[in-house]
Amino acid sequence: MLMEFLVVSVLNGAIYGMLLFMVSAGLTLIFGMMGVLNFAHASFYMLGAYIAYTLSALGHFWLGLLLAPVLVGLLGVLVERFLLRRVHAFGHAHELLLTFGLAFIFEELVKLFYGNFPVDYRMPEALRFTAFTVFGTDYPFYRLFIGGTAIAMFALLYLLLSRTRVGLVVRAAERLPQTAEALGHNVPLVFMGVFGTGAALAGLAGGVAGAFFPTSPNMALELGVIVFVVVVVGGLGSLEGSLLASLMIGLFSSFAVGLDWSLAGALDAVGLGGWAREMGGLMTTTLSSIAGSVPFLLMLVVLLLRPAGLMGERS
Amino acid sequence: MAARLAGGTALAMLGLAGLAGAAAAEPLKVGIIEPMSGPDAATGELYVTAARYGLEEINRAGGFNGEPIEILLYDNGGTAAGTVDKFKQAVADGVRVIFQGSSSAAAGQLTADVRKHNLRNPDSRLLYINDGGAALDLTGDKCHFYHFRFQAPAPMLVGPLVEAMSEAGELGTKVYSINQNYSWGRDMETAIRERAGDGGYEVVEATLHDVAKIQDFAPYVARIKAAEPDTVLTGNWSNDLLLLMKATGEAGLDVRFGTAFLDQPGNIANAGETALGHYLASTYNLAAGDEAFPEDYKARTGHYPVYLEPRVVIAARAFGKALEAVDFGGGAIDVTPIALALEGVTLETAMGPVTIRKEDHQAVMPIVVSRVEKGAPYPVDGTDMGFAPVRTIPGPEAVYPVQESCEMQRPG
Repeated sequence: MLMEFLVVSVLNGAIYGMLLFMVSAGLTLIFGMMGVLNFAHASFYMLGAYIAYTLSALGHFWLGLLLAPVLVGLLGVLVERFLLRRVHAFGHAHELLLTFGLAFIFEELVKLFYGNFPVDYRMPEALRFTAFTVFGTDYPFYRLFIGGTAIAMFALLYLLLSRTRVGLVVRAAERLPQTAEALGHNVPLVFMGVFGTGAALAGLAGGVAGAFFPTSPNMALELGVIVFVVVVVGGLGSLEGSLLASLMIGLFSSFAVGLDWSLAGALDAVGLGGWAREMGGLMTTTLSSIAGSVPFLLMLVVLLLRPAGLMGERS
Repeated sequence: MAARLAGGTALAMLGLAGLAGAAAAEPLKVGIIEPMSGPDAATGELYVTAARYGLEEINRAGGFNGEPIEILLYDNGGTAAGTVDKFKQAVADGVRVIFQGSSSAAAGQLTADVRKHNLRNPDSRLLYINDGGAALDLTGDKCHFYHFRFQAPAPMLVGPLVEAMSEAGELGTKVYSINQNYSWGRDMETAIRERAGDGGYEVVEATLHDVAKIQDFAPYVARIKAAEPDTVLTGNWSNDLLLLMKATGEAGLDVRFGTAFLDQPGNIANAGETALGHYLASTYNLAAGDEAFPEDYKARTGHYPVYLEPRVVIAARAFGKALEAVDFGGGAIDVTPIALALEGVTLETAMGPVTIRKEDHQAVMPIVVSRVEKGAPYPVDGTDMGFAPVRTIPGPEAVYPVQESCEMQRPG
């Protein structure tokens, strides 16, 4: 029984964590390399899901998965080139407000074209099968697919940034933009590329995850907050930090659901449990009933102990 | 020059008098306060469409007080704060009757605002038609004479749901209760526990979870599986229902769901075949009769009435029937006689008669329990699945007892 709880919770939590990483990877990249806190990031995720949905409705699921990152990436490039670059000189507040506004515009546009209700974006039948059975519960293959995509994404990004010349230039452009420019590198082009890649990653995440979770105009809002929590906990701009934070949040949430711990239960140990139960309220609130708030508690603790995040550099 | 001026003034005064004559018949202003933007806009849109349809029906039959009813729309963004603002604006616009339904939080705010306004302004009282707020305390603690609820709160849905499911032999003896951690979900959990004796089942476990925050329901499914229930009863709506149902289906768990909001647009399409065989308790089912209504609705709004829409139309029709019984002869409008008339209304619907319980102004509405089946009449979401009615329970049988906490001050 305990074994089952452990195994199932780890499996569920790890995959959910991978999904969170998939969505937050692009956000981390953009922040780490450009210093732009992109509020429209979750909207790129939503647009990716809708693009993939549109193509899968025409019978091209895989083409949808391919085109979602490409088109969303292009949109990201346009946003950087024609909007962000103009306000860059005015500082972070302007960039933040701009992306914040974009998020609203994207949401309303999606509502305009696809309506208010969730659309029927589902995985193809060929992917709808059970990967394995664990303690009598079927484990859907698609969850593994989500996890695999996230791992591939992390490996690619990591290698690209740390092992290739492109990565070297990107990091140089972020650290010392003027020096990089003096050495003949086109820094604005680098930023455009980074922003486009970040958006493309969100688009891919949307295409993959949208088929598993409902694709609706609210999906950006629903995941938007938690993605920021991931990035803050992991340390702004740190890819490894994001991965670690995503996994922690996934696992903590998953375990919290199964645990009916309460303050009253803890007080039983010192013989005050009965008194605590009479008090009710916060004393008898179980961990499982606030599982959705666990990520925020984690963020609070991390910010108190390590303000720069788990893997963030102190500035 | 002076004569011409005087003549002009006289003409102007005549004009004014003429205007005053035309305006003597006071039009009844009805405000619809719902979210038309923000995350709840999808639900708000349905409320607005249905309430307008119902009110325009009254206008086609001649309006009220010699004038067509004026319909004013207010966007509260889905929040209690937005509702406060829009309520004030509606009062300033001269609105006398308010239709509102999406969100119990907004309803709780609104009903308190209406009560206070009526105490302070006995000459311009307001009437609040609540066509959606399901929290029990709206007809309990917070009940007052000018609030009417056309919605079935938790006990009114759970009772018929377990009755019909157990009659069909599909309830089993072990029930898992999973609900959202706020007033509605708690009401549901209480109702599910209370019905255990009559329904002949045992609540093996009850879970409350955060509202609209959970993306991954797999951990909850693991809990459900460990408890080995036959049936899962839930008041969850929107993503919280859809994700829960999908996660259960994907885990290969063989349980039936008894729900209150499965007919929300998009649910069936998204869940696909996973939804087959699950149950829904609601206030209306198109397949139960009166084919003219869905056709007329479709002709005027572009779609068959779905989800909450038929219920809102019932509220508007009951309101219209109350108006027929009141006559101000084109003079000033007072909502007290309208409210008194509404108390006595009996509205015949395809599901059965709808009446108002005088003690707490809860509409006594029939409840229909349906099952998701292929080939059901009025398939939804562009699929071949729909809600096949299993059993209709008449209002007086379905309704819950009047809550002791309701102390209604009647006028006069």
